[in-house]
Amino acid sequence: MKRKWIIPLVIFIFIYITSFLLDRNMIEINLQIKNQAPSLLHLFGTDWLGRDMLIRTLKGLQLSITIGILTAMLSTFLGLLLSLVSSVNKTLDKIVTSFIDLFLSLPHLVTLILITFVLGGGLKGVVIGLMLTHWPAITRVLRAEILQLKEMPYVQLSKQLGKPLWWRARHHLFPHLAPQLLVGFILIFPHAILHEAAITFLGFGLSAEEPAIGIILSESMQYLSAGMWWLAFFPGLSLLMMIIIFQRFANTLKDYFGRDRSYEQQVND
Amino acid sequence: MRFYVILFSLMLLVFGCSNKEIPEETKQLNNEKTLTLAIGGEPDNGFDPTTGWGRYGSALFQSTLLAYNKDLEITYDLATDYHVSEDGRSWTVALREDATFSDGESVTADDVIFTFETAQQAQSIVDVANIAKIEKVNDFELIFHLSEPQSTFVHTLQTLGIVPEHAYDSGYSQNPIGSGPYQLVEWRKGEQLMVESNPHYYGKEPEFKQLTFLFVGEDQALAAAKAGQVDVLSVPITMSNQEIEGMNRLSLQSVDNRGVMLPFPPASTNEEGEQIGNDITSDLAIRRALNYAVDRQAIVDGVLDGEGTVAYSSVDQLPWQNPEVIIEDGDPNKAEQILLEAGWQRGPDDVFEKDGKKASLTLYYPTDDQMRQSLSLVFADMATEFGIEVKTKGASWNEIEKQMHEHPVMMGWGSHNPLELYSLYHSDIRGMAYYNANYYQNEKVDHYLEQALAASSEEDAYKYWKLAQWDGETGMSVLGDAPWVWLVNLNHIYFINEQVEIGEQKVQPHGHGWPITDFITDWQLID
Repeated sequence: MKRKWIIPLVIFIFIYITSFLLDRNMIEINLQIKNQAPSLLHLFGTDWLGRDMLIRTLKGLQLSITIGILTAMLSTFLGLLLSLVSSVNKTLDKIVTSFIDLFLSLPHLVTLILITFVLGGGLKGVVIGLMLTHWPAITRVLRAEILQLKEMPYVQLSKQLGKPLWWRARHHLFPHLAPQLLVGFILIFPHAILHEAAITFLGFGLSAEEPAIGIILSESMQYLSAGMWWLAFFPGLSLLMMIIIFQRFANTLKDYFGRDRSYEQQVND
Repeated sequence: MRFYVILFSLMLLVFGCSNKEIPEETKQLNNEKTLTLAIGGEPDNGFDPTTGWGRYGSALFQSTLLAYNKDLEITYDLATDYHVSEDGRSWTVALREDATFSDGESVTADDVIFTFETAQQAQSIVDVANIAKIEKVNDFELIFHLSEPQSTFVHTLQTLGIVPEHAYDSGYSQNPIGSGPYQLVEWRKGEQLMVESNPHYYGKEPEFKQLTFLFVGEDQALAAAKAGQVDVLSVPITMSNQEIEGMNRLSLQSVDNRGVMLPFPPASTNEEGEQIGNDITSDLAIRRALNYAVDRQAIVDGVLDGEGTVAYSSVDQLPWQNPEVIIEDGDPNKAEQILLEAGWQRGPDDVFEKDGKKASLTLYYPTDDQMRQSLSLVFADMATEFGIEVKTKGASWNEIEKQMHEHPVMMGWGSHNPLELYSLYHSDIRGMAYYNANYYQNEKVDHYLEQALAASSEEDAYKYWKLAQWDGETGMSVLGDAPWVWLVNLNHIYFINEQVEIGEQKVQPHGHGWPITDFITDWQLID
């Protein structure tokens, strides 16, 4: 059982660490070797300025993963915070649920474009945009969990004994929420990466200097009709592979925990 | 499953959008006297010359008083003669008497006066602000009185198409009538423009009776050309290495230049509270060293695939360029010497330093322009390798407008009007929109530019335009104050049907597409 999720995780972490070892200066311009098709020397080929596409792709993956982890953590945290807020009283609960409904009723990408555009794009815009669009699903799950836990006799007892909300949250709720949080985080992660790439591709996201996958893909669009297929094919495939590897890990890990399956439905929608 | 359904419908949507149907009638090509052109550049504001139509290439529907020939010499079109008074303020123009609009009415001095007055009221990009009064002598002769002498007024006479007073109303731009070689058949916005030859045209009757201009995306135009549906196609340099059966590739030299604008004064704040100037680029040694350190030919070969020429000024190959301003570049030793003499020393990381300041710059470029991005990256690479650290930053034009007074920017110019030199380098124009955005100022250059503008003959004007660039002591070229690092002129690439002969073209201006239509009436069919 354990092997099943360890292997994808190891591959994933290996690629991530390798990309860290590559210095950004290795993406150097070399006009002598521009526009080369994939070869043994340049596995992913080179672009119109002679930059090695393998290194660009790896750096792009690193950036994507970093943003993915950051935004997944932020959204999970936001979800936790809002679900706790909703547990305080009826009014707050109403406010939070209507926010959830509001955000779930709009397509992710549209909200994301709006928020990122208003914030002026860039790393800050993308991270905040992704954070503000990926919290509703996990908030809903956590809120339901908390509602159930709140009625448990031992929690009620704590309340009667005058323990404050924060104490109850820390000692009674968190231990139960921890696995939910972990699984939620892992399921948000690939979403966040794909959305980051999508929004960057559309030109609302990261700025053009960043070696992001979305940038690589949108730049390569201009060269596709000139026959340079490798510019888009390998970076796109690599991103897809990373997501699949991670998804495998996430699914097996979720089974491993054997918790609430209703999750999958909500987060995947 | 649902995921795949969504994915599939998305794909349908995407391909559905991009595959705009090429209209049926254009499929019957090469039936001798028709041409289909895919050269982009649909005018947003329609075909009204008084608001800017016809600045580049042929105005199609209208004709102008004067014209340029292939060597940028002045020739006559509607006018039969013109002369300028001694003080340069009065321009007398005589019109030909046989010219008529496409509705049969003849072109008179009243129409010309009406055109210029309308352009003045429209306050558009057409340069007519300097006209004080237009005097009608008789039906076929008139005098323009200028408030200031302006030798470049001849350029306005060459580009402003004459509109008919009797048929001009608010809908004119959609339904133009003029004295040009063609008349409008149909304009479907965002799709195509169809024109046919004007039977009333006074000039040589064009060989191609019907023209269709397709307004489609670059990829789609290329695909249509490969399918044999297009006779004239413009492509960006990134697509220049194509082979299209039945079409010849044509690479035209241009003054469509790209260069790095360097802020001229030291960092400070102007009256409007904007940050202007830059403490590094305000040093002449830095500006000159950059000019000598870059290898322009390597950029042309590497970035442009050889489809361009090296640029040393904003007016390369034009009659008013001073030939002395061409330097031997790609010479890091010379650049280093310039910096050492000015007191710069190499710091620990090989980057030059002086008085604790590091020679480090941020170069801005517009994100949506891949050519400028590539040029910026390569320029930064060369400069950093030499010892002047240049970082690049892509930004929207809005953002660049805020930064361009204090940071270097990758800009592009290139006009057939020498007035551009005045706009780029005269201190009165400092900070006006994109003109002289680096706040360049040199009294002597100002003086030469004013003299050039005030000159009463072309030769005189050219002499002063050249002196402003370099007079042996100072100037705005690399030899003098070097406020720019001009890098390259981009060639304009076209694919033309083998059976069409378009003759020799003039050096192309900024803007790729319409300029090819310049001599469209001379285009011929060959076997």
